[in-house]
Amino acid sequence: MKTRRDFLWQTGGGFAGIALLDLLQRDQALAADSILAPKRPHFPAKAKRAVFLFMNGAPSQVDTFDPKPELTRRNGEPYKGPLAVGSNGRPVGYLMQSPFAFAPRGKSGLPISDLFPHTAKFADDLCVIRSMYTDTAAHASGCLQMNTGSIFLGKPSMGSWVTYGLGTDNQSLPAFVVMTDPRGGPIGSASNWTAGYMPAAYQGTLFRSGKAPLLNLQPPAGVTDQTQRQSLDLLKQLNEQHLAEHAAESELSARIASYELAYRMQMEAAAVVDLSRESAATRARYGLDDPLTADFGRKCLMTRRLLEKGVRFIQLYSGGGHIEDTWDGHNDCINNHRLHAGETDRPIAALIEDLKATGLWDETLLLWGGEFGRTPTSEGVGKPGRDHDWHGFSMWLAGAGVKGGQAIGATDELGFAAVEDRVHVSDLHATLLHLLGMDHTKLTYFYQGFNQRLTGVRGEIVGKALV
Amino acid sequence: MVWLIWILLGAAGSAAADFATDVRPILARRCWGCHGPALHKSDLRLDRRADALHGGESGIPAIVPGNSKVSLLIRYVSGADPKLVMPPAGPRLTPAEVETLRQWIDAGAKWPGAEPNAPLAAKPDPRLSHWAFQPLRAAPALPPVRDTRWVRNPIDAFILARLETKGWRPAPPAAPPDLLRRIYVDLTGLPPSLAEQDRFRGDWDSLAQELLQQPAHAERWARHWLDVVRYGDTNGYERDDVKPKVWKYRDYVIRSLQADKPFNQFVIEQLAGDELPNANAETLLATGFLRLGPWDDEPADPAEDRFDQLDDILNATAQGFLGLTLACARCHNHKFEPLTTKDYYGMIAVFNGLERPRKGRTELDRPIGTWPEIDRDNAREEQINKLREAARTAWLRSGKSVMPPAAAAAFLQPAKDRDEAAKKLVKDFTRKLDEELAALPVEEEVKRLRRETPELERAYFLEERSKQPPATHILIRGKATSPGPEVPPSAPLVVAAHAPPVFTPAPRSSGRRLGLARWIASRENPLTARVIVNRVWQWHFGEGLVRTANDFGVMGDKPSHPELLDWLAVWFMDNGWSLRKLHALILSSNTYRMAKTGNQAYAAEDPENRLWWRAPYRRLEAEAILDSALAVSGKLNRTLYGEFVYPEVPREALEGSSDPDKVWKSFSEEQASRRAVYYIVKRSLLVPLMEVLDVCDTARPAARRQTTSVAPQALQLFNGGFMNRQARHLAERLRREAGAEPAAQIEMAYRLALARPPKPTERDAMISFLRTGTLEELCRVILNLNEFAYTN
Repeated sequence: MKTRRDFLWQTGGGFAGIALLDLLQRDQALAADSILAPKRPHFPAKAKRAVFLFMNGAPSQVDTFDPKPELTRRNGEPYKGPLAVGSNGRPVGYLMQSPFAFAPRGKSGLPISDLFPHTAKFADDLCVIRSMYTDTAAHASGCLQMNTGSIFLGKPSMGSWVTYGLGTDNQSLPAFVVMTDPRGGPIGSASNWTAGYMPAAYQGTLFRSGKAPLLNLQPPAGVTDQTQRQSLDLLKQLNEQHLAEHAAESELSARIASYELAYRMQMEAAAVVDLSRESAATRARYGLDDPLTADFGRKCLMTRRLLEKGVRFIQLYSGGGHIEDTWDGHNDCINNHRLHAGETDRPIAALIEDLKATGLWDETLLLWGGEFGRTPTSEGVGKPGRDHDWHGFSMWLAGAGVKGGQAIGATDELGFAAVEDRVHVSDLHATLLHLLGMDHTKLTYFYQGFNQRLTGVRGEIVGKALV
Repeated sequence: MVWLIWILLGAAGSAAADFATDVRPILARRCWGCHGPALHKSDLRLDRRADALHGGESGIPAIVPGNSKVSLLIRYVSGADPKLVMPPAGPRLTPAEVETLRQWIDAGAKWPGAEPNAPLAAKPDPRLSHWAFQPLRAAPALPPVRDTRWVRNPIDAFILARLETKGWRPAPPAAPPDLLRRIYVDLTGLPPSLAEQDRFRGDWDSLAQELLQQPAHAERWARHWLDVVRYGDTNGYERDDVKPKVWKYRDYVIRSLQADKPFNQFVIEQLAGDELPNANAETLLATGFLRLGPWDDEPADPAEDRFDQLDDILNATAQGFLGLTLACARCHNHKFEPLTTKDYYGMIAVFNGLERPRKGRTELDRPIGTWPEIDRDNAREEQINKLREAARTAWLRSGKSVMPPAAAAAFLQPAKDRDEAAKKLVKDFTRKLDEELAALPVEEEVKRLRRETPELERAYFLEERSKQPPATHILIRGKATSPGPEVPPSAPLVVAAHAPPVFTPAPRSSGRRLGLARWIASRENPLTARVIVNRVWQWHFGEGLVRTANDFGVMGDKPSHPELLDWLAVWFMDNGWSLRKLHALILSSNTYRMAKTGNQAYAAEDPENRLWWRAPYRRLEAEAILDSALAVSGKLNRTLYGEFVYPEVPREALEGSSDPDKVWKSFSEEQASRRAVYYIVKRSLLVPLMEVLDVCDTARPAARRQTTSVAPQALQLFNGGFMNRQARHLAERLRREAGAEPAAQIEMAYRLALARPPKPTERDAMISFLRTGTLEELCRVILNLNEFAYTN
């Protein structure tokens, strides 16, 4: 079997020969042996790329996308439902109405609370799922389940599965990018973007704003770009001599190529984070001028630029560390959500606006939500905190292949538990893979004696969400 | 009146629970459509008693005579399990019908006229003849070969015989410098030093013997074993705290390899070191194996969590020692392997006596020693607690304390009775009270008691406190809240049928683990020896004879050389389960000593080199690359054993942590220059350089390391702190030891890194580079060479 690489090596020239090819071909040529080489989906895909806007800490459904008039009517009553206690044995407390007004938005009239005035402009593009549920009330296992489909450690994350299934179009940027919050990562840290039992090449790569978005992207101190290039040339020359004696070893040529890709990554990644060429108007739209929105705004703007470069899967975290530094509003859910929604709403809207303007909207899937939801009750009298609610919560999908302007499913009259068209986390995963052109029952990886899946033994595609 | 009717009905129902008139019609009308004479869905028939008692493909009886509570039939028709209600269509059974079935089962499920028959689901299983389940008897005979000169030992005979059937020739012997570096790196994870290169006179067998005795060998090969046992220093999940002193298990492994502990003993100690008649500190440490897995400090469901932890132990045991994917049989019979839920829960019963630490987060390490030593230690601590408690109470009552009387009174109250004011007093004065108590005469007595009995070492392991573990039930669909029939401890029938384990109570515990361990470590077990000799082969050659080292089941890879595998397994047992002898045997073969020479024709037909027509080519593991770089730079810190060390993790890499400021300890170059086997293994934060070099996942037993080459790996190796530091140290070393002449520096650098002098073309390229580049930059290039990262 001849590969593109064989062709290149046999036409003699190694890297010299590559100069004849244009850049994209060059990337593909370098990547021919790569484990990340692009692969065909199972069927024509609606979306080529995906962005997961992870609202770390768990946003409250009744304050965001799931209005509950009955909750307002019964505000202050002790909760008398079937739940004995909340997470960690905390008391379930008293019903607490949302202080945020809901209004019908767009032509569709999709109700969205005042927390998201900017995102609300795109109501007709959002498909809200109000009937999400998950299997755990703890952040660690909740984040794991949302990201890997399982409450147990060691499973590959969604981004890893997508990268495993589709590879990437751009070898000189990471295929799966993760951007965390300056206050810290999510609970469970890297377990949330690990490749688990798959090769490490599929794991999420941390990407930062600033001059060094990737670990060790720049040459060490004191090494100029010229000496870096000369050093790489010498390495290549010595490695190619060695390869000549071991011509059959594709691993060796893949490793040689990885240094060239690293060199290109150095330039390409630095270019992606260089936001100086963006217009003042664009920067303002993403909220880069406002300290409240600047960080998440930069991430959203970088997301757009990474999508333009063909990055396959991007995950952005809003909130990091613990409790009030995340959406985990145990003490004061109202001000907590004002803060975190305030930080993210404008940037997310700007991202949607730009994707629509550039046409990437039709190839990109957006997913918004946290690891679970929050109770419609307060944690105590006079304490406007909300506890974890894993029985029902809201998320939204938007973009390629998604039928916007609608809310799917319903929670009960108070907003505690999903009761209509219930959507388990694994159902969401199945839907996401479907939109990316993959059948979740066929995207498998053989490990520990059987074909593993992102969706385990579960997963029903949410048909109502699809165009 | 109501009562009377109820009693009458009840009595009538009871009297009427007759098979022919009451039960059979219900079964016939509502069940037989799918589970009857014509259709047998899920291999279940409810028209034959033997089938109903045996159960369908789930392996769980539909009817357990005398116990309707655990009978699946009742569970499903009564609607007790909302997710599975039978019949699946049509109206539900009426409560009266369910009651009739229930009473009939409780009365013994009498089935007049039932004839004995072999249950459908118990049909003969062709999978039972799978090669790995067959007993290991005598060693297979050596195959005849034409080129007898090539055969240095029996391994060569098996390898050559297969090659000769294709008319192929093995590759020529490796060049001595290649073979020298191969042996050093393989056995010790380090390249040969200049002195070792100079000293070597060509006696390969003595060299292997010498290296096998070195601690460096034990360190490298311990790391291989740690992959299998899911070793990590932290528990994972939200807190991901350090498991105190779990690193002593790692040291136990290194010591065991250093001592060439027989592998069967090694197995027994890890599973049941506490149940051995001569239990001592070392064998208790070994049982740390049982507690190496991750555990959730805030589990979603505590009842499930208990079984998740047992599942972790079972899986590590089944895959690690037996190469069985038994954990797949937790919810239903294994879909592919002849392993049943009964096998699964039988093995759970073996471990069910292990107590979950009652306070998961705080009750962590325990004293280790012989049992009399531990008893003495416990008694002493109890005595000390009593003395202190009495002294404390007396002190608080004496009025001698300088604390306000209200505070003393608050301390005397049981904690649960304290009101807010008392709680505050306790909080405010705890330190003061501690100071006062520390000055009491009782502390002299405590010191004396502590002097009398020496302090015991502490370690991290589970304990079993009773000879009678809790009953173990098959859990229906794996749910902790759905117990089915009770099962006794057992080993998987497919491999245990002809010589099952014997379970006899130990003096302090159930003895079940010792029974299982002795069975695993016995010659009768068809899997244990095959699995370990295959692992050893894999760790020497990069691939095993069976390429799925954790899976010897029907779904696993078939051995490329089954007779060789069996021969090695028998030889290994005949030679006292000695890993060292096995290594020496493999290294003395011509098979091991072949060159890597390619052959287009062979490669076209056998691209994976399954017939071993040449030496394999493989990248070193993360640890070996890092250790080798340190050895070459001259900075390797050879300190053995002890607590883990923190290698450098750049600040940027900590940003993904939920506690970026606290998650990693500051970095000391001297400590971080120890061998990577001593690096902390933190489950939520792998060392980035190790991670890009494909260090294994620690959630479950790892069968092998992956090899990937992607750009982020090149970035870290070329631009990262570790390799650049070693490049600087190497440059200094070259200037110091080789002098100022570039040619001499290059010569020494190549010999250090690659155990060979540079070729003229290589030397010329490097000398030309040095006209503008620095020696540090050259050293960085050398440490990044493919040849450096690969075996010879």
